[in-house]
Amino acid sequence: MNELNILWAALVAYVVAGSAAIFAVVWRRRPDRFVLGLMVLGLLLHTASIGMRWERLGHGPYLTMFEILSSNIWSLMLAFTLAYWRLPAIRATSAVVMPILFVMMGWIMMTSSADGFLPSSYHTVWLFIHIGFGKVFLGATLVAVGLAGVILSRPTARGQRWFERLPANDRLDDLAYRCMALGFIFESLMLVAGAIWAQDAWGRYWAWDPLETWAFLTWLTLAIALHARITFRLSPRAGALLVLCVFVLAFLTFFGVPFVSMSAHKGAV
Amino acid sequence: MQRPSLIRFSGGMLSALASLKVTLIALVLLFAGVVALYFDERFHSDYLAFPLGALALNLLAAIVSNGAFRKQLWLMVFHLALLTLVSLLAVSRLSYLRGTLELSDGGEFTGALVEQRAGLLHPLEKLQALRFANLGFHIDYVPGPLPHGIRNLIEVRDGSGIPRQMEITDQQPLLLAGYRFYPTTNKGFAPTFDWRPTGGQSITGTVNLPSYPVHEHGQAREWTPPGASFKLWTQLQFDEVIVPADRPSQFHLPQKHIIVLRLGEQRWELTPGQSVDLPGGRITYQGLRGWMGYEVFYDWTIPWLLAACLLAVGAMGMHFWSKFSARPWNGEAA
Ligand code: HEM
Repeated sequence: MNELNILWAALVAYVVAGSAAIFAVVWRRRPDRFVLGLMVLGLLLHTASIGMRWERLGHGPYLTMFEILSSNIWSLMLAFTLAYWRLPAIRATSAVVMPILFVMMGWIMMTSSADGFLPSSYHTVWLFIHIGFGKVFLGATLVAVGLAGVILSRPTARGQRWFERLPANDRLDDLAYRCMALGFIFESLMLVAGAIWAQDAWGRYWAWDPLETWAFLTWLTLAIALHARITFRLSPRAGALLVLCVFVLAFLTFFGVPFVSMSAHKGAV
Repeated sequence: MQRPSLIRFSGGMLSALASLKVTLIALVLLFAGVVALYFDERFHSDYLAFPLGALALNLLAAIVSNGAFRKQLWLMVFHLALLTLVSLLAVSRLSYLRGTLELSDGGEFTGALVEQRAGLLHPLEKLQALRFANLGFHIDYVPGPLPHGIRNLIEVRDGSGIPRQMEITDQQPLLLAGYRFYPTTNKGFAPTFDWRPTGGQSITGTVNLPSYPVHEHGQAREWTPPGASFKLWTQLQFDEVIVPADRPSQFHLPQKHIIVLRLGEQRWELTPGQSVDLPGGRITYQGLRGWMGYEVFYDWTIPWLLAACLLAVGAMGMHFWSKFSARPWNGEAA
């Protein structure tokens, strides 16, 4: 089996796990162990596939859109699997989170898996630090989005029915807030590590290139969201909307800007 | 009778200035400023000084007057670090220098920059006193063609009087008196001429042609020989493919080439060693060299900025840690 086949097998495991989790929410079953088992299986296969490609090409998954998507699906699945495992009370947020991941999985299947060329500025440990922090940030934000999605859909009859077993909104809101706080720390670390790397690689720590600009805007939105909570004692609904804003901006930064940017900083995060 | 109302007035001013609503407004303005910076070329990043200045004032007032900071030490440290960061950025904008320069192989830096931007308080004499020479460079190319690593041999001539040679790269700059000099992919060919004005001393100099291969099809430039009153159009012509698109290669000088000179209607083709008589003097083409474009950068605040950032993130981590560890993650909400 080559690395692509193993990747497809991993995606199948994720999709079956995610679909089972969504059905569990809709039909109110609890196949939790089955779902968790499949998620872990998918992660193991995916890790093997990334490892094989890494070994073959001599560089990690951070150059082409295919690699960026693959490594982010991996880290986001890892983050959500951890949340699924450690926070059983909120497992039903899979009905919000997994569809987002399905979109990314569909996207990667339409993306060319050809190899790219490694710029010399990528031969540095800062690459891993920068990318690693970014992945924790996005993973924490994704978990918060699951919670926010539940809060926002509860006023509808269907949302009410699906998510009735989940804790009350203020509890979800508190958890989402913790995820955002965690995300804020790691997003800050990502910006600092990125600045160190940029200083090293291009002799400037900050130059408002498109990726830097959008990452900073995401950081500011997070700061605004955290501050607004304190200033106005926001309702869970308003808090959830802010979580979505942060996620949309972060998603555009991670996966949108590399398309439009012509600068050296192609954003292979 | 007057004093209490004055105190009340200034206390009111302070709490208005320290309001968390002002923080939100200033943060939103900063957001809008960054968006403007991205979409509108006329918007300069210096304009961000307004929302940043407002944030700094607002924060200063809050640190003095808001009890939340005294109750939460790490939150206070975090915000103090943010304040330090903004102040350092202001200092950085006043004292930085960023510029570019070009040196042909064998050429020495004598303080002249091609482009420069510097803070109001930057002492330019410091840079002008620095000396180093370009002894030649290597740039590998991978198919594309894409540059893949720059190595540049230089010789530094500092106060000790003993020249020292070293290799710098696009990742490892030359560090002189706090200035960082980076070799870049902005480089090209430099025909060397000897110009002898009628009855005068001959002068040797190079003409840096436009960057190669970016301006592959525009290897020409007009220039004025020292003391002359005309502009000489100079073009480099060669057939060799220097950096092919389909295989790895190295930047190098073309093996066979000619130099075309044009003055008005007249045109000459020269190979190394050939001369032409021009109005006011005689020009001899000596041969081709490379030239390297450098970026120079000075900002003494960088390590302090980093320290402030790390302190901010660390304090933020401690703040949230102490806040969240009081109740477990899968416990009940407050
Ligand atoms: C970019 C700038 C800023 C960022 C990123 C930022 C971020 C934060 C964060 C993350 C918190 C902690 C919230 C929590 O515990 O959930 C916080 C709290 C706070 N911030 Fe800021 N802040 C900024 C600027 C300011 C400014 C300019 C002020 C000035 C008034 C300010 C005043 C406060 C206060 C008073 C609190 C504590 C509120 C409380 O616990 O009652 N911040 N800030």
